[in-house]
Amino acid sequence: MPTMQFRQALREAMTEEMDRDENVFLIGEEVAQYNGAYKVSEGMLDKYGPKRVIDTPISEAAFSGLGVGAACMGLRPIVEFMSWSFTWVCMDQIINNAANVRYMSGGQYKVPIVFRGGNGIAHQLAATHSHRMEAVYARVPGLIVVAPSTPAEAKGLLKSSIRCDDPVIFLESEKMLNEEGDVPEGDDFTLPLGIANVERPGKDVTIVSYGRPLSRVVRPAVEHLVKDHGIDAEVIDLRTLRPLDVDTVIKSVKKTNRCVIVDEDWGYCGMGSGILYKLQKPCFDYLDAPIEYVHSDEIPVPFNHYLEEAMLPSVDRIVTAVKEVCYR
Amino acid sequence: MPAEITMPQQSDTMTEGTVVKWLKKEGDKVKAGEIIAEIETDKATMEMEAFDSGTLAVILVKAGEKAAVGAAIAALATAKESVDDVKKKYAGGGGAGATQTAKPQAAASAGGASSTPVAQSSSRTATLEGANTAELKEPDDCTGHQASREAATAVPPLPGNGNGGNGENRLRVSPLARRIADDRGVDLHQVAGTGPGGRIVQKDVLSAAEKGTPKSAAPIPATSSLAPRVATGQTEKIQLTKMRTAIATALQRSKQNVPHFYETMDIDVEEISTLRERLNHRLEKEKIRLSLGDFVTQAVAAALKRHPILNATFDSAKNEITRYGDVNLGVAVALPDGLIVPVLKGVDQMGLKEIRQRSVDLVERARGQRLKGEEMKGATFTVSNLGAFGVREFMAIVNPPEVGILAVGGAEKRPVVRDGEIVARTIMTVTLSADHRVVDGAAAAEFLRTLKGLLEEPAMQLL
Repeated sequence: MPTMQFRQALREAMTEEMDRDENVFLIGEEVAQYNGAYKVSEGMLDKYGPKRVIDTPISEAAFSGLGVGAACMGLRPIVEFMSWSFTWVCMDQIINNAANVRYMSGGQYKVPIVFRGGNGIAHQLAATHSHRMEAVYARVPGLIVVAPSTPAEAKGLLKSSIRCDDPVIFLESEKMLNEEGDVPEGDDFTLPLGIANVERPGKDVTIVSYGRPLSRVVRPAVEHLVKDHGIDAEVIDLRTLRPLDVDTVIKSVKKTNRCVIVDEDWGYCGMGSGILYKLQKPCFDYLDAPIEYVHSDEIPVPFNHYLEEAMLPSVDRIVTAVKEVCYR
Repeated sequence: MPAEITMPQQSDTMTEGTVVKWLKKEGDKVKAGEIIAEIETDKATMEMEAFDSGTLAVILVKAGEKAAVGAAIAALATAKESVDDVKKKYAGGGGAGATQTAKPQAAASAGGASSTPVAQSSSRTATLEGANTAELKEPDDCTGHQASREAATAVPPLPGNGNGGNGENRLRVSPLARRIADDRGVDLHQVAGTGPGGRIVQKDVLSAAEKGTPKSAAPIPATSSLAPRVATGQTEKIQLTKMRTAIATALQRSKQNVPHFYETMDIDVEEISTLRERLNHRLEKEKIRLSLGDFVTQAVAAALKRHPILNATFDSAKNEITRYGDVNLGVAVALPDGLIVPVLKGVDQMGLKEIRQRSVDLVERARGQRLKGEEMKGATFTVSNLGAFGVREFMAIVNPPEVGILAVGGAEKRPVVRDGEIVARTIMTVTLSADHRVVDGAAAAEFLRTLKGLLEEPAMQLL
């Protein structure tokens, strides 16, 4: 299996799908001439030309709306956002239009579009450029929300997203683009949407997470738990946040009787709160401790490096939460 | 009949409207479809048209006034009546819908409070209203944080088990621990909680189960919690409740009138206990757990079918015994203040599963005092089982007009002699009380022998 960077996996997913289907095209700020703000689309302009790899002005509202219209008319746009924080200005296009056109038109129009880009707290981008948008979109019926945590997932899930007939919110992270991982070969490799992955089986506690925190803090914390505390954690990588694969999580929690949810959202009304809501009733009689939710502090994201670190979930916070639910 | 003009519902959310302006005055002719007023709803000002033609006789809600949706705001005199008649009819404040003079939004905007703070605690709300913002002492922001923080610190710390927090002596148990305790028959009152605030958690129940504090060994009967202590040196007088009075009357009459006799027998239930485990294993998926009592119920029903003299009632006035083709078994259920005897009707036709399900249902509803009258009538025999309380054997009082009652003690391992050897077997002692006017000692003994046979050799029921 070849090893590649997260950004290369994203690129392969896009180019393979563009080779496969001439209706697929990429549009966004700096995706063409500059080879991508984060070099995800490097070389794609040369390969596919300016009709399929399109630079836009700095106007998310305009080009996301263009994408929705193109999708309604049968094309399959990939709309790249430099940051999901910039999508507050195109809520109407994404939520009112993309998510609802199929329903409002009684199925006459479908919207096969992928919106993708960096989500969440990258590094010292401060309050307005560090939004974690997953809970905003994952609550909207009509959208599919995907958050890969490895290069293989980036490729497999993005390919499925491009082939999906409904609008997909694809949440990457700038900080993950350099991460490397094995990616299965072949242009027919895809991963199904809506299916979570039990990436580490365990018996003592279920840790539920998705996207960047898995590599940043969850996996290191689990190593720590196993080695230093003798706690055998089961780790579930959700992969898709809407529709949530709640059955996989429930099955696991019924087995371990304990659950810790980890994300970088704010806690109140955060993504983890929504997940918790789906778990508490079916798992109630199986829980030996209240479900813990490790999330970011409820403050605007600070610019200062140390303060930013301090607000985020850490290995220590996860270990503490896990020990708490295990009564250790 | 005058045609009333009512406040129209101009939007789904509109509950009242304001008459902004009347375009007609009293005495004016009005044609159906003509615009007669402007109405302000919660969303917009809209024109209102007349539905009928006639003369606008009386305006009940003046311009600037509010009325609820559907309330009359004016009345038309149609062709059949005069304007004066209609006026008279509505004279004396007939405008039911009119409320107070409306000064829409004036109060709010004039007060200078440009935004309404979101109050998160009621005390904060009170402060805001009372102080009219001027007296507020440096709130840290506009969301009532300070107040809610104070409120939060005022919450008393969590009490441990039995410390009587919130006036309750409640157990803190994790849902999982509670479920395990239920499955394994562990009495949670006997378990020490090691979780936060004394919460009983999974490992506490598991270790208790290993040490063995089964429910049947040390049960907390429902009645014990309701036997409050009387302080030393004090006395307390209690009037009999209706239920106690009924129990007292019925049992006193029985003991005075029914010549009781008693026969006791030990029954080896070792095999049936094994059989019970085996069946329960099979019934796990259906979440049914048969109790030993269910087997006793079934065997009693079968024995009564073979000994109809005990499945009977006696009418002493007529000197007449009635024997029954069905077994309707009374089951004594303890209540906090008394007991009640719901009846399992046609129990001789039921399998163990049905006996279990129906018993659970009856007992639950009996404890909740939700039994129907007919469910407590028509018993042909009664069983009283105090096995769960650790009682070895006891004698029950016959419940007339029935002629027999079986008192069932707890099953326990006892040393018994088998083939000249002392061995430990699971033994249960039962005592039959019977009315000697109807039943004789030998007949009663026959019944007990049949019962013993059915329970010791379960296959006998097949015969």
